Amino acid sequence: MANGWSIIIGLVVIVAMCLAAWFFSPKGENQVLWRSSLILAIVSCYLMWAITFLAQLHPLIEPRRSDIRKEYIHH
Amino acid sequence: MAPTKDTPFRSAEMSMVQLYISNEIGREVVNALGELGLVQFRDLNSQLSAFQRTYTKDIRRLDNVERQLRYFHAQMEKAGIPLRKLDLDVQTLAPPTTHEIDELAERSQSLEQRVSSLNESYETLKKREVELTEWRWVLREAGGFFDRAHGNVEEIRASVDNDDAPLLQDVEHNNSAADVERSFSGMNIGFVAGVIARDRVAAFERILWRTLRGNLYMNQAEIPEPLIDPATNEAVPKNVFVIFAHGKEILAKIRKISESMSADVYSVDENSDLRRDQVHEVNARLNDVQNVLRNTQQTLELELTQISRSLAAWVVLIGKEKAVYNTLNLFSYDSARRTLIAEGWCPKHDLPLIRSTLQEVTNRAGLSVPSIINEIRTNKKPPTYLKTNKFTEAFQTIVNAYGTATYQEVNPAIPVIVTFPFLFAVMFGDFGHAIIMLSAALAMIYWEKPLKKVTFELFAMVYYGRYIALVMAIFSVYTGLIYNDAFSKSMTLFRSQWEWDVPPNYTEGMTVVGKLRDPNYRYPFGLDWRWHGTENDLLFSNSYKMKMSIILGWAHMTYSLCFSYINAKHFKKPIDIWGNFVPGMIFFQAIFGYLVVCIIYKWSVDWFGTGAQPPGLLNMLIYMFLSPGFIPDGEQLYSGQKQVQVFLLLLAVAQVPVLLFLKPFYLRWEHNRARAKGYRGIGERSRVSALDDDDDGNHHGNGRQSLESEGEGAAMIAQGVDHDANDEDGEHGEFEFGEVMIHQVIHTIEFCLNCVSHTASYLRLWALSLAHQQLSSVLWSMTMALALGKTGVTGAIFLVVIFAAWFCLSCIILIIMEGVSAMLHSLRLAWVESFSKFAEFNGWPFAPFSFGTLLEENEELKEYLG
Repeated sequence: MANGWSIIIGLVVIVAMCLAAWFFSPKGENQVLWRSSLILAIVSCYLMWAITFLAQLHPLIEPRRSDIRKEYIHH
Repeated sequence: MAPTKDTPFRSAEMSMVQLYISNEIGREVVNALGELGLVQFRDLNSQLSAFQRTYTKDIRRLDNVERQLRYFHAQMEKAGIPLRKLDLDVQTLAPPTTHEIDELAERSQSLEQRVSSLNESYETLKKREVELTEWRWVLREAGGFFDRAHGNVEEIRASVDNDDAPLLQDVEHNNSAADVERSFSGMNIGFVAGVIARDRVAAFERILWRTLRGNLYMNQAEIPEPLIDPATNEAVPKNVFVIFAHGKEILAKIRKISESMSADVYSVDENSDLRRDQVHEVNARLNDVQNVLRNTQQTLELELTQISRSLAAWVVLIGKEKAVYNTLNLFSYDSARRTLIAEGWCPKHDLPLIRSTLQEVTNRAGLSVPSIINEIRTNKKPPTYLKTNKFTEAFQTIVNAYGTATYQEVNPAIPVIVTFPFLFAVMFGDFGHAIIMLSAALAMIYWEKPLKKVTFELFAMVYYGRYIALVMAIFSVYTGLIYNDAFSKSMTLFRSQWEWDVPPNYTEGMTVVGKLRDPNYRYPFGLDWRWHGTENDLLFSNSYKMKMSIILGWAHMTYSLCFSYINAKHFKKPIDIWGNFVPGMIFFQAIFGYLVVCIIYKWSVDWFGTGAQPPGLLNMLIYMFLSPGFIPDGEQLYSGQKQVQVFLLLLAVAQVPVLLFLKPFYLRWEHNRARAKGYRGIGERSRVSALDDDDDGNHHGNGRQSLESEGEGAAMIAQGVDHDANDEDGEHGEFEFGEVMIHQVIHTIEFCLNCVSHTASYLRLWALSLAHQQLSSVLWSMTMALALGKTGVTGAIFLVVIFAAWFCLSCIILIIMEGVSAMLHSLRLAWVESFSKFAEFNGWPFAPFSFGTLLEENEELKEYLG
């Protein structure tokens, strides 16, 4: 079930991913590049997902349409 | 935590070094350093003109060799011999010795002589050939005139006698005269025969007619084949002419005029037998000349083919050698100790490498005098050297296109690697288009090596940015999944959170409204596909995307602002933290951070569950400024909102004076305190470069002085006039409160206004993603939707045709055009909205002396390299 707690669960997951990215980035002079890029990418993607999820969490409007064929109405 | 190695996080630590190289191995050292490409030399002879420098003579010599090589290339092009290009990825050229260069110079000298003498003789022969050909034509055509003219003697005589007779009357009409055997010589008539360019004939005729007052008889015929002018190698159509006239003087005049009109006069014998002999002779000579000509050409081509095999390598060698001498010209020469002294910038961490290279060169030369490299202290601003690799190169380029980062500040390209493609993807979010882009990017990376050789400019540009395209495509796939758009269609990946609330008497055309399937179930990833195609789709997605733009913008700007903290900390300027970063951050968060919190809060409250009316956030923000402490009825977001908003507003307003005054007054206080303690400004102390004085004693004196004051055995170099570093002595020297204050006022106004305008600027994320989505759905409905509506065989054919059209249009409009536009907008967000928060862009780029960049950037060398 996906409900409001998903945001928190997702947060925990990405924190774990970020930690993994921090510790498993290849050593060397480009380590800082790996770390910053991976963590930034993970956080950005999480942010986008969380925003989308939150926007639909307590919807203020419902979808409405009037061109549905009878066979498809219960899908 | 001092970094032990240079990372891409900030520009490499640089040091000014001084090299003492024995004069004999100067060239070898510079050669080795050029291969290394890590040192940027300063010009130590800026007071000397180009002609006064030590190695100008060598450069002249190499210029000459270069000219000879270019001459060979031109000759090869003329002869149509292809050049064997040099592929530096495969072949490496060993650094040449002076002896080899001399040999090359000599060889090219002798080759030039040989080629040019071959060329010369070829041209002479060619000229001879043309002359003979012309003569042959003259003989042939003039023979015809004579045969005809012999019949017209009477008529000619008549025209000579009678002034009224038409001068150039057509010969054909009067062919009836009988006295064929009578010779011209009896009449004292002479003639001139020759060849003239066809476009001059009219002028020639007119001039003759005017100067001789009509006392001539001219005949001409066109030569059917155009003759090649050996000087210009162009084909010129020409005419043969024969002019008959009376009297020696007139004939001499005609000859002169012919010469002045650059006509070629040939001797033709009157007697037809002699003429026949002449023709035979000419033919025989022509044959000989042609034979010799062929041989000469073969030899020339052979010679040039030989040259073409190694020409590219020679050009590269000479180009490098010239660069070496140009660099040597920057060095100062100590004639007393026969030492070259060089100064330059190099990365501090690469010093051991440079040192060992020097050592190696010295050892190889078997010199007992060691080469010395010394790090020296300087107050000059070091250059910004940002190391890149294959992946970061393109990202660094788009940052450098904006400006060169200040020495050692956070490399702005670091956040750009993710934020730029990510913000692009927010605007470009379509799964289908992203997959096509991803395939293109992957293809370019997979066939990296062969595609590198493509010289088509537009493609080369895309190829250069292939890794940017890759990251952009990957993020676009993700955002496409979030937006649930694939070519404007939605994907039903998960169960929808909505179901249609169907009335029992449902007929088609009735409006149905969705209801939540399960109060505890929400669409887990991305937008619910049930929204797709609904009447109020845009209403929902606009609200969602607008808020998302604000939140992403806030996150991006907050993140960027944090870098200013890192910068201030690195440069050890706590006043920048307390006077700029902290108040700025509080100001920004009190207004826009609060807005973001409100957006998220509003989303997370079940408004229908609580029975309250959801308030509009836009009005809330406007009222927060216009009438602080007033919340209209039914617009309350949470209890205590009034107090919180007033507090935040006051907090934000309170930051403005802090931003305005803290830094300038602190700097003034610090300056006054230093003054009080007896320190002087840096620029007020006079220091000179160790090199400025040739006098040794003076030099050591200076060194000792700095030894005392700095506690380090390094001479200070503070002498000002230098073309590569901005002369900042004035700024260093005087502390001017007014200037600092004005600067800070501008900064404050800019920062506060930018907080508002930049946040609004992020709404472009919404606008562009909306435009992209709508455009692709319009394209679908105008092409594929029509085709899919048809049935039968025609429908099938129609579908195939329409699919091709739809696919092409998708690629051109939606991927290329929309992609470029989204990229430009994302670029702006990086350059303006993000960089203005932390980056100074006050540096100057490190441009080391390197053969690699030399060969890459030289346009002339490009055509020799494969």
